[in-house]
Amino acid sequence: MRDVIIAELDSPERAVQAARSVRALGYRRVEAFTPFPIPELEDVLGVRRTRLPYLVFFAGLSGAALALLVQWWTNAVDYPIDVGGRPKSSLPTDMLIVFETTVLLAALTAFAAVLVGSRLPRLHDPLFDLPGFERTSLDRFWILIGDAYDDDADVLDEALDLLDGELARLGAVVTRARLPEGRA
Amino acid sequence: MSAAASVPPRARADVDPPVLEHEGSHMELTDELLDKVLQPPRWMRPALVVTFLGSLVLFAAIAYTVTTGIGVWGNNIPVAWAFGITNFVWWIGIGHAGTFISAFLLLLEQQWRTSINRFAEAMTLFAVMQAGLFPLLHMGRPWFFYWLIPYPNTMKVWPQFRSALTWDVAAVMTYFTVSLLFWYLGLVPDLAVVRDRARERWRRRVYAIFALGWRGSAHDWQRWRIGYGLLGGIATPLVVSVHSIVSSDFAIANLPGWHSLVFPPYFVAGAIYSGFAMVLTLMIPARRLYRVEHVITTRHLDSMAKMLLVTGWIVIYSYVIEAWSAWYSGDRFEMYTTLVMRPFGPYAFVYWTVIACNCVTPQLFWWRRARRSAAVLWIASLFVQVGMWAERFMLIVTSQARDFLPSSWRVYRPTVIDGTLLFGTIAFFLFLFLLFLRFVPFIPIAELKELKHRIAVEREDGARA
Repeated sequence: MRDVIIAELDSPERAVQAARSVRALGYRRVEAFTPFPIPELEDVLGVRRTRLPYLVFFAGLSGAALALLVQWWTNAVDYPIDVGGRPKSSLPTDMLIVFETTVLLAALTAFAAVLVGSRLPRLHDPLFDLPGFERTSLDRFWILIGDAYDDDADVLDEALDLLDGELARLGAVVTRARLPEGRA
Repeated sequence: MSAAASVPPRARADVDPPVLEHEGSHMELTDELLDKVLQPPRWMRPALVVTFLGSLVLFAAIAYTVTTGIGVWGNNIPVAWAFGITNFVWWIGIGHAGTFISAFLLLLEQQWRTSINRFAEAMTLFAVMQAGLFPLLHMGRPWFFYWLIPYPNTMKVWPQFRSALTWDVAAVMTYFTVSLLFWYLGLVPDLAVVRDRARERWRRRVYAIFALGWRGSAHDWQRWRIGYGLLGGIATPLVVSVHSIVSSDFAIANLPGWHSLVFPPYFVAGAIYSGFAMVLTLMIPARRLYRVEHVITTRHLDSMAKMLLVTGWIVIYSYVIEAWSAWYSGDRFEMYTTLVMRPFGPYAFVYWTVIACNCVTPQLFWWRRARRSAAVLWIASLFVQVGMWAERFMLIVTSQARDFLPSSWRVYRPTVIDGTLLFGTIAFFLFLFLLFLRFVPFIPIAELKELKHRIAVEREDGARA
């Protein structure tokens, strides 16, 4: 188990300001939970841009290669069909299925990568046990400060006081919670 | 006196109506949208029962067709493709608007798409499901459909990939899969909202499973945003490809009236045209019955009507080019089919229905009052759908009914089973659509909150400047 500090805010602008203050205080393991995407918040928290597009690009390429290979091997090598003497392997007619397979593999990969990257699907997350977390999908914005405190109660209290003082002007409700080791 | 009141009324009408008319908090907006799912309206149950009974009629017609053989349909040589393929092309065309609205307009950052995209995507899925039925049934032995997929088999043969029929399989199956993924990925955060807001324990459990454990962290949102945008980018060329490939079924054949280079863009334009009409047909009653006129606003009607006008003109242009290239080809069979047989032959009434519904109806939308009137739009959308169905029928049947040799000419007449299948798929489509309205937040909640936030920021910036 480890202790975290949670600041709850009621508007996206304040959440961005709060995240900025928290980062300015030197905290690094900061995560935000919001009801809708806020690109500004990603910049403030220093979220690294996902490499998902590269993955999708290579998935698309392999889809194209697979389709070309299958069509060439089945129709020109393994079971050649002569249609009025036309070439047995013809790129123009192959291209349609090449395109469709490119799209199919790229889309499947994009979908899977979003889920796997976010460690989904899962039935439960320890965060769901925290009281009030269900409102982060509704209209509340949480800043979760997860920097390690070495189980030192004094350090934690100090941090709590510091953050409370810093974020009070934004109307934040600052509390602490215990989470199992691992994510967040 | 406020600034708005001092503007003369004529000029004010030029200002676009707002995309979203909502002044309440995020919570009020969410609860309002969730209520549609958590407290279904009273008409829902009878509507589900009626459309379910209609679907049973479809299943009965399918059972009869499969057990007896496709001789129960009216098509026979020379008209081998008739109602079945017409319905296939029509339904899959309708599906196009969904992906067009959600993907194309996403890339173009059209704000008005937000409130209607999920609606349109669901329509796509269900329309493609209806479309898929027809080629399956038309095979006569639908249980062998997997012969179209390249798999190592004891017969040691492979599908013929230079045939448009295998392209169709790849296109339709890819289209359905990608549309489903796109729709579901967009839905995940909203299912999480239902999970968090539902009162009953069982409902929370069920939605929790479908929400896949979504948490909405900044990292998750970034990945979701980029993944969703990519899927949109990938789906955009896919939309264009699907109906192009369907049109190749005809264009690579040698029949007069089919063998035409104009077919792919012509089919795609018609597809988007009929799809927008279907979105309007479903959206106008739904926004009224669910009282969401402030979320799906007059602005949406106006934009959709403009899309109908634009795609309608592309369709008209295609008709003109088709006729012109038939004449310019100098080929007497092409000229006969396109310029004589269609407008004056045994199917002349179909041709003139097409002209009346597809070419004349959208001209209404030059007038702003027609664009912003729900009743006018709804009736016009029905006309467009009838017109597009008739167009598919005209293209498919006339060319086969009279090809090169007068000795092989034959007029096609549909049977009762043909008609039952068409109306059955309409009932089944509506049934699936009602299920969607009943169980899924059909207006994107997270995206709408984001839009609301963005509008608020823009307004603030505007006020400051």
